[in-house]
Amino acid sequence: MIANRGEIALRINRACQELGVRTVAIFSEADRDSLHVRQADEAFCVGPGPAGRSYLNIPNIISTALVTQCDAIHPGYGFLAENARFAEICTDHGLTFIGPKPSVIALMGDKASAKRVVREAGVPTTPGSDVLSSVEEASAAANAIGFPLLLKATAGGGGRGMRVVNEAGELARAYAGATAEAEASFKDGRVYLERLIRRPRHVEVQVLGDEFANVVHLGERDCSVQKPAHQKLIEETPAPHLAAGARATLHEMALRASRYVGYTNAGTLEFLVDGEDVYFMEMNTRIQVEHPVTEMVYNIDLVKEQIRIASGEPLGYVQSDLVSRGHAIECRINAEDPRNNFAPAAGTVSKLVFPGGPGIRVDTHLYAGATIPPFYDSMIAKIVAFGQTREVAIARMERALRETMVEGVSTTIDLCLETLAAPEFRAGRYDIEFLPGRLARNGQTTAQRAVR
Amino acid sequence: MSAERAYVGIGSNLGNRIVNVERALGALERLGRVVRRSSLYFTRPWGRYDQPWFYNAVALLETELPPRALLDALKALEQELGRGAGERWGPRTIDLDLLLYGDVETDEPGLRLPHPRLSERAFVLVPLAEIDDRFARLRDALDAEELAGVVRAERETAMAMPNESLLDATERVRSIARFLRENELTRVRVQRGDDEIVVAAGTRPASPAPVQPAAAPQTSRVDAIKADLVGVFRLSRPEPAEGDAIDADRELGYIEALGIRTPIHATGAGRIVSIEAGDGSAVEYGQPLFLVARGS
Repeated sequence: MIANRGEIALRINRACQELGVRTVAIFSEADRDSLHVRQADEAFCVGPGPAGRSYLNIPNIISTALVTQCDAIHPGYGFLAENARFAEICTDHGLTFIGPKPSVIALMGDKASAKRVVREAGVPTTPGSDVLSSVEEASAAANAIGFPLLLKATAGGGGRGMRVVNEAGELARAYAGATAEAEASFKDGRVYLERLIRRPRHVEVQVLGDEFANVVHLGERDCSVQKPAHQKLIEETPAPHLAAGARATLHEMALRASRYVGYTNAGTLEFLVDGEDVYFMEMNTRIQVEHPVTEMVYNIDLVKEQIRIASGEPLGYVQSDLVSRGHAIECRINAEDPRNNFAPAAGTVSKLVFPGGPGIRVDTHLYAGATIPPFYDSMIAKIVAFGQTREVAIARMERALRETMVEGVSTTIDLCLETLAAPEFRAGRYDIEFLPGRLARNGQTTAQRAVR
Repeated sequence: MSAERAYVGIGSNLGNRIVNVERALGALERLGRVVRRSSLYFTRPWGRYDQPWFYNAVALLETELPPRALLDALKALEQELGRGAGERWGPRTIDLDLLLYGDVETDEPGLRLPHPRLSERAFVLVPLAEIDDRFARLRDALDAEELAGVVRAERETAMAMPNESLLDATERVRSIARFLRENELTRVRVQRGDDEIVVAAGTRPASPAPVQPAAAPQTSRVDAIKADLVGVFRLSRPEPAEGDAIDADRELGYIEALGIRTPIHATGAGRIVSIEAGDGSAVEYGQPLFLVARGS
């Protein structure tokens, strides 16, 4: 059973069909006309539009799997994909959860426990302190870690209770401000210190592990092109212009952490990269949105691998068998209004043309006449370009984006084109501040061009 | 314009056939009012033996649509349900035929009334005669072999395939037979992949069901009682029947999911127009279970 919607539900259905596995789709009342409902062998409505009552409705989803006699559940990404409790419930009902063991999801899903366990494995994390109880303690910790620093609230989120501390003289004032703000925002004034990494790159490593303790990596993906609020827009593999030792370190650290926790199935370890330095950030215990770029260069079907691993098959290859054969880039096409701070745009797609030709792959659930419901993620398509070199891949992507036509809703297509054309992107020298900085400078132009 | 009475034939031999027919019956409510429906019949494909058997039913629809518009609407429903049921765009999972429309007799391109196959096809006549006496004589004129190809499916029910470890066919059949006895059923059909086992109790030949008259209820409004969770639907005992007058808080059935039975209540007095979901069938969220006429 495919416990998801949208393009990833289609993606999983494709893998199943090629493997000769019969599929059951689930859908909400808002998705009755969705493509994933049509392409599965069977489809069951599990609730009304809002995800909390449908795609997150665990009793109805499990019941559907049981009445349709499913053997396994693929959760896709988002929704229940990293819900350890759901994985456990699947197991309790004799259903195979296609993903890592529930205990590993729980361990790696919590950012604090994930950092603790990878440190045990000898993988570097952002240097930081424990929870601080006084400004004196903060000062001692600050000197040990080194400046610049970030004061963060343990209960934090959305930047509240967070302060940048550039030097020792700023610490007392920042400490007072952060604790007061954290107390006011979360009724929990506890804060801790972390090394501030200025302008890092966000690079992640794909791993696959089987039930027989074999773990391999499938290279890295650079996901530094992010909109404000850390939403990825463009991803590519291999990461361009990594410092000489960084790539090997990333792969090595990813394998070390995965082996240490006994990781099985597909997973991704996210790192911050600062020159030669690599810091583990978090692990995603599921298939990622941007998995196709890895598939393009390694010629491996990651979703099929997930299903094979879950059915107890060994990997069937070793690290040295896995060779990247080129370069791949993905652009996320979202139905968003660039004039309105990327607010999701619901509506009906009146006209639709997707690109084709050599080296282009499009993963989408969209069709002309499709209605985009307001309840879910705004991503409507992923366009992936492959090339023997990065230059070829970029040229193909630009050509593919120009071929693409989506009428009826505003999209991020023009934003992707502008970003690809930027000198920093062309040179492969960009970090997570690249796109937000660009948007702030050219905000007006971007908005005007994007709605033409 | 006043409502006309039309008979619609429903058939499916692809995908989950029972669910397809039940969905079609539910969808017909959009074109008018389904005032009566036949049982489900399991029927041999006409003229061909290399296809899976069909499930067929006939519905009596009260509609304000004129014949041509009704035919077009049925074709549109076929399209919609055929795709919605999860099959590819190509083969249709559902067939909807306009059999009769009041007393209209016509022979226009694409629209012949009464339906030309009406008088000769057992899969149409048997369910039709079940809900309309006038066709009993035509049905009785069919030969025995024809009738044998139409099996009333009402006493069939679904059960989980016995554990895969029971690879021995005898063992499987035995466990199905036990299920049959325990549940006082006459037939059990178990389907998994391409495997199908049918176990029937006794040696009674399949005979057309006795015709149940029951006048169409004169009502102002029909509500659908829908499933609000996913699970296996069952009728409560005493089993409600079409035409029954029901109290406001009558328990009509229940949905069994994850070992818990959730009762389905009448939610107001009325009369059961039809039972939309098969006893023992898997139902999805929002699927109509009962149509209940209110205020009569």
